[in-house]
Amino acid sequence: MTAPQQNQLEALGLSATCADVVRHLWDYLDDQLTPDGAERLRAHMTACPKCRGYSDYQSCFLEAAAKLRAQLDAPESLRTKLAEGLKSEGCSCWDAVKKGKT
Amino acid sequence: MTMLASPRTSSAAPTVDAPRVSDAPAASAADGAQRDAEFAREALPWLDDVYRFALSLTRDEADADDVVQETYLRAYRSWHTFIPGTDCRRWLFTICRNVFLRSRERQRATVDLEDGEQDALAAGSVYAAARESGYDDLYARLDIGPALRDAIDELAEPFRTAVGLVDVEDMSYESAADVMDVPIGTVRSRLFRGRRLLQEKLASLAAEYGLVPAVAGSTR
Repeated sequence: MTAPQQNQLEALGLSATCADVVRHLWDYLDDQLTPDGAERLRAHMTACPKCRGYSDYQSCFLEAAAKLRAQLDAPESLRTKLAEGLKSEGCSCWDAVKKGKT
Repeated sequence: MTMLASPRTSSAAPTVDAPRVSDAPAASAADGAQRDAEFAREALPWLDDVYRFALSLTRDEADADDVVQETYLRAYRSWHTFIPGTDCRRWLFTICRNVFLRSRERQRATVDLEDGEQDALAAGSVYAAARESGYDDLYARLDIGPALRDAIDELAEPFRTAVGLVDVEDMSYESAADVMDVPIGTVRSRLFRGRRLLQEKLASLAAEYGLVPAVAGSTR
């Protein structure tokens, strides 16, 4: 860790383990840590309200991003246009493009 | 330093128009019908996902329509290159990104990134400032969806794509790396930078609308 990064952590009043949470929480939430590393962070967060709060905060952010997935579908005009395109390619399933048939 | 690599041919996704299977003399009507049925079953259900991804790339509905149209027609023509049992959505996203890059004449951005740690720390600072002010539950209290979508649209392409694939489309780092044609570590760096920029943006917006005091120490 560089000196500015260390200063940044000290300014936040974080312990070394809290610092690990800040550095690796996204890796943890993305399931990118080794089992040992994940367990270490999980154990610390269980005992540390500050880090638990940070984990909740980041989890809420990621949940909000994931919800965007359900909020935007391909428009009907695109489905119609694509169906016509596939039909002209000789695709027999062109009609299945229409909403509800896929 | 990490630089965006130029697009390369993915393991299965076509980057050039392949001959139409229906043009092959040996292809029987039954083969064509089976191929079409497989295409309908495997590829068409991902139309909404491909559209969202195209829209995140183009940020323009008409352009996204064109990219999706071209993606699916190219996928149909090249269906014989799709390996059954593999991830069709990932295959389609790779084609979609190739179509997009080609439509932009492969405009390539060059970004310098650290390993993501600095962005993780900066995000911690944004949170610490919010906590100090007693507004650290803002994401839980408010529907940040619309603001978040706008903020994602404002991100530069490499970060927007990483956030779109991993956080919105729920892709693994590995799949996103394949679609983006970069190493997994680059996906992580771009994702973390994107998340940090988004959280700073949301904090600024919250301050602008009087929901929280101005956040000090936001960096870019």
